[in-house]
Amino acid sequence: MMVRLNTDIAAGLFGLAFAAVLWLPRGDMGRLTIMFPRAILVILALLSVALVVKGFVRPGERRVEIPGSPTRLLVVMIGFFAWWAAIAQLGFLVATLVAFYALTWYLARVDGPVEGTRLLKWTPSLLALVLVFYFTFKEVLNVRLPTGLLF
Amino acid sequence: MDMLLQALATLLTFESLITVLLGVTAGLFIGALPGLTASMALAVLLPFTFSMEALQGLIALGAVYMGSIYGGAFTAILINTPGTPSSIATTFDGYPMARQGRAYEALAAATMASVVGGLVGVAFLLVLAPPLARWAVAFGPAEMFWVAMLGLTLVASLSSGSLLKGLLGGCIGMLLSTIGVSPVGGETRFTFGFPPLQGGIELVVALIGLFVIPELLNMAAEGRGALPGVGELRRRDTSIRQVARQVFGKPVNLIRSCLIGQIIAIIPGAGGNVTSLVAYNEARRFSKDPKSFGKGNVEGVVASESSNNVMVAGSMVPLLTLGIPGAPPDAIILGVLLLHGLRPGLDLFTQSGVLTNGFILSMGLAALMLLPVGLLGGRLIHRVVIRTPYYFLLPGIAMVTILGTFALRNSYLDVGIMLMLGTAGYFLRLIGIQAAPIVLGLILGGIAEQGYVQTLMAAVADPVPWLRLLNNTLSKVLALLVLVGAATALVPIWLERSGRLDKVSQEDTP
Repeated sequence: MMVRLNTDIAAGLFGLAFAAVLWLPRGDMGRLTIMFPRAILVILALLSVALVVKGFVRPGERRVEIPGSPTRLLVVMIGFFAWWAAIAQLGFLVATLVAFYALTWYLARVDGPVEGTRLLKWTPSLLALVLVFYFTFKEVLNVRLPTGLLF
Repeated sequence: MDMLLQALATLLTFESLITVLLGVTAGLFIGALPGLTASMALAVLLPFTFSMEALQGLIALGAVYMGSIYGGAFTAILINTPGTPSSIATTFDGYPMARQGRAYEALAAATMASVVGGLVGVAFLLVLAPPLARWAVAFGPAEMFWVAMLGLTLVASLSSGSLLKGLLGGCIGMLLSTIGVSPVGGETRFTFGFPPLQGGIELVVALIGLFVIPELLNMAAEGRGALPGVGELRRRDTSIRQVARQVFGKPVNLIRSCLIGQIIAIIPGAGGNVTSLVAYNEARRFSKDPKSFGKGNVEGVVASESSNNVMVAGSMVPLLTLGIPGAPPDAIILGVLLLHGLRPGLDLFTQSGVLTNGFILSMGLAALMLLPVGLLGGRLIHRVVIRTPYYFLLPGIAMVTILGTFALRNSYLDVGIMLMLGTAGYFLRLIGIQAAPIVLGLILGGIAEQGYVQTLMAAVADPVPWLRLLNNTLSKVLALLVLVGAATALVPIWLERSGRLDKVSQEDTP
């Protein structure tokens, strides 16, 4: 998907916004603590202004290409955050099994409809993959993975 | 010398040999997957090294690095898609060779060139790093500040195609490095009242997020399915001996490419794609038959693959001596060093000399291991890589990424930070701000801050305190190099605009 966007201005505005977010809480910090961040914030602001000016005077790219399907991009992006949120509620193992299954099913649909039999055929591989990693981290690497409702 | 022998003894154990073998194989698998870079290979496999001893962990990651850079050649030759950006130049002649039924010849040549390149890089690292580390002791806070700035300027100029956006990325990275407790003042900064942020943003968490998540999102959006199975890996009439004669029969090409690889590798931030493109270009320029390049000339494959494998160890010269990554994947090696309490500099070659030399020598062993793994296991690896559907691959990589990030500090929040940085990294990449300058800013931010604040504290009585940053000859030279570095980035753009150069293309670093 092509989006009309002056990337110089967009990058400049992002830089200014980022600088503003960090500029505001600087007041209650000591001199030594703020000395370096303040210098970088000033440089960041100058670079951002330079990019905005460049965007008007001699712009670089004026369009942005989001390769592939933006819907799929958004779904997977949300999926990753949902996976993270589910880990706290369901525990790592259950959340990962659900997320892995859902993502595989969703992504496989690019090639055409995914029938139930195909999903069943994948189950042993998916289970094996998740369980191998789960037990490797839990038992071999001694990582205390988050637990939830069941595990 | 004693340390080198002790290091060799620790390396020649069954455990180390197996670690190298597994590391090279795993790196080869990931490197052979188009789009998955060496940085990503290291980031994904990093968690497996957490429970290892420092040396074993470094050996494993060194082997993964070597394997992944070499692995990029597989798909570059067989399906005209570079597995890693370091193999871009390999496609120019490798793929035409495959189309002519000479895939095995191209792969064997790439393997031999990679082995030689890897060994040469290790030799350079062994020779150059210790004296440079001793010299680095002379670097005071002001010099370290300029070294950090130099690294940032160079990566900004080389990685993004836009100096301003590269520098902007570097500043964002530097500011991210200031979140948490200040190293000089001791106060908490930029936590926005959220106590878990007091620990700051862990370098490895940021690395995993910025390098892995954007690529996964890209894979998902593109719906990258099974790769076209056009490339065949059949052994034809060419024997290994014949290929060896072709590769070593023209040693000038090999030597030149290795030297180019090493020189570029020392420049902070310059990745394998830069080394391989420059080496390829020089091989063509000096060839008696430049027109045959791009049509299946094995010299092109040799130039590209030898130079990019020199970079693996060669780029660690600035990393191990000054703490500045020579290439983006080195940032992960730096993260591991810091995790084990090892700080780059002279101490690495004195107090931790056995460990450092063991790590360096292990990369030589990994380079040698490419020969059996690549030539014997190549066909199997190719088949697995080609046939693994992306809808298994993507959730699998995401799972390892989440596991690895969590395992780092047993922190649930780190996983969220990693996902947020990765998502932001995806959108920033769309508007031309690459991950490499942000990551380098994150690494160099701490070094620059210590240098800057300590220098200004010492100059508190001076009429113009910041002039202390240019107090001696070394800092003046370094400041000049920063200006030259920034100017160098503008030269190709000026040449392009003035019509003296057709097109300047700058690719992402690996």
